[in-house]
Amino acid sequence: MADNLTTATWFWLLVPMLLVVVLALISWLRHRLREGER
Amino acid sequence: MSGALEIDLPLLTTFVVYLALMVLVGLLAYRLTRSLADYILGGRRLGPGTAALSAGASDMSGWLLMGLPGAVYGAGMNQIWIAVGLAIGAYLNWQLIAARLRRYTEVAKDSITIPAYFENRFRDGSSTLRVVSAVVILLFFTFYTSAGLVAAGTLFEDTFGVDYTLALAVGAAVILTYTLLGGFLAVSWTDFLQGILMFIALIVVPVLTVLELGGWPATAGTVGDLEPGALDAFNDVTLFGIVSLMAWGLGYFGQPHVLARFMAIRSLQDIPAARLIGIGWMAFALLGSIFTGFAGIAFFEGTGTLDNAETVFIALIQAMFSPWVAGCLLAAVLAAIMSTIDSQLLVSSSALSEDFYKRFLRPAAGDRELVWVGRATVLAIGALATVLALDPESAVLDLVAYAWAGFGAAFGPVVILSVFWRGMTRNGAVAGIVVGAVTVLVWEQLGGGIFEMYEILPGFILATLAILVFSRIGGRPGEEIEQEFDKVAGSLR
Repeated sequence: MADNLTTATWFWLLVPMLLVVVLALISWLRHRLREGER
Repeated sequence: MSGALEIDLPLLTTFVVYLALMVLVGLLAYRLTRSLADYILGGRRLGPGTAALSAGASDMSGWLLMGLPGAVYGAGMNQIWIAVGLAIGAYLNWQLIAARLRRYTEVAKDSITIPAYFENRFRDGSSTLRVVSAVVILLFFTFYTSAGLVAAGTLFEDTFGVDYTLALAVGAAVILTYTLLGGFLAVSWTDFLQGILMFIALIVVPVLTVLELGGWPATAGTVGDLEPGALDAFNDVTLFGIVSLMAWGLGYFGQPHVLARFMAIRSLQDIPAARLIGIGWMAFALLGSIFTGFAGIAFFEGTGTLDNAETVFIALIQAMFSPWVAGCLLAAVLAAIMSTIDSQLLVSSSALSEDFYKRFLRPAAGDRELVWVGRATVLAIGALATVLALDPESAVLDLVAYAWAGFGAAFGPVVILSVFWRGMTRNGAVAGIVVGAVTVLVWEQLGGGIFEMYEILPGFILATLAILVFSRIGGRPGEEIEQEFDKVAGSLR
């Protein structure tokens, strides 16, 4: 019997959700760096 | 497994304390509300945390704690696609629209509602755009608010054995009290607190359930033994179905109660932090919701063993936690429902107070008068929604099925193109709203083949085409409009 989510399920569950968080984190860090330079 | 449960002292106490806290927040906000702009947009002074969490909490209704876990509990991981689409849609909304709309609504004669923004952005002297969009908001959100109240009343009747009418009356009274007193600030601050509560519950419940079951391998193994198909997101779904479900994410661009949070944020400098908080909240809350439903399959030994799949989150809390902790976690369900109702109620009220009363009846009215008109309209719409909710079977509540798609298709393309396209005209905007709304209404009535597609996708595409075509036909939008667009674009660089 299968004992874990399929690889494709893990991929589609985690990649889009975490990708949007990482992209938001990157743009926040870039904003902070720009603020620091001023 | 789950049945009516007599409301006990710990549950009653935590709910009463929670509801009293919401009213207290309303009283605090009351002291800071002096103008209609304060009342319906908080004077544009939301910090990043409040803007982010109140956007998330007002967007996510009881669906996050009941609908989504229930769907995963009932059918497995093939139910994740709406959540994936919503996460992407919410991110794009924050990334593409938030800053532009915040800036544009301020430059375009300080527009404090979406209908006012449409009118001012396109210099619509006929007020067609304002009236049409305000009527659409008023109509759909009154029924939407009503449906939220029905959901809350039914939940309390079915799960806790509380009389439906009593639950409805108490819930409506609390929501009306803090919304009426404190307006947008009260709604945003309570949404912020409710967002935190929902987030904690959606992390704690699935994590502790999985630990209780012996860890992740044991949980997934049990589900694999009971329902092997539940482990696969592609089980029993087609590509057509996946696209249709992910299309829910398109709805964000046109939801007035979410866009109001963008318009109310304190400064453009706060948007990157707000976006990070908002998207982080949403992604982990959605994952928590999905894993709650999934772990529920193992905990309750298979799908179909609960009377009502949508109570899986509630049933897990009742089974695992002491009554006092359970009371606090169950308040999150109340929070999810209330935080959506209050925001929709306030947006409906703003359509009456700002877009009709101030615009057409009393343009010269003072701040004090307008704030009290705002409060009166909250009371009137809230009372109407409550009366409609007295009959949970009322056919008018079916309108809610259209609301997400209707707003998404009618307003979404207009909002997006209005902040990105210099050449968009008033006629293009009117055409976009009409074509988007009509497509959703007609598509829903048709069935079979391509018409099984969620109506937001065709509505969104056709509305976009209508805007492009009708803006081209009528010539350029006018020098004043183009100059204003350039001013906004320049200030965003």
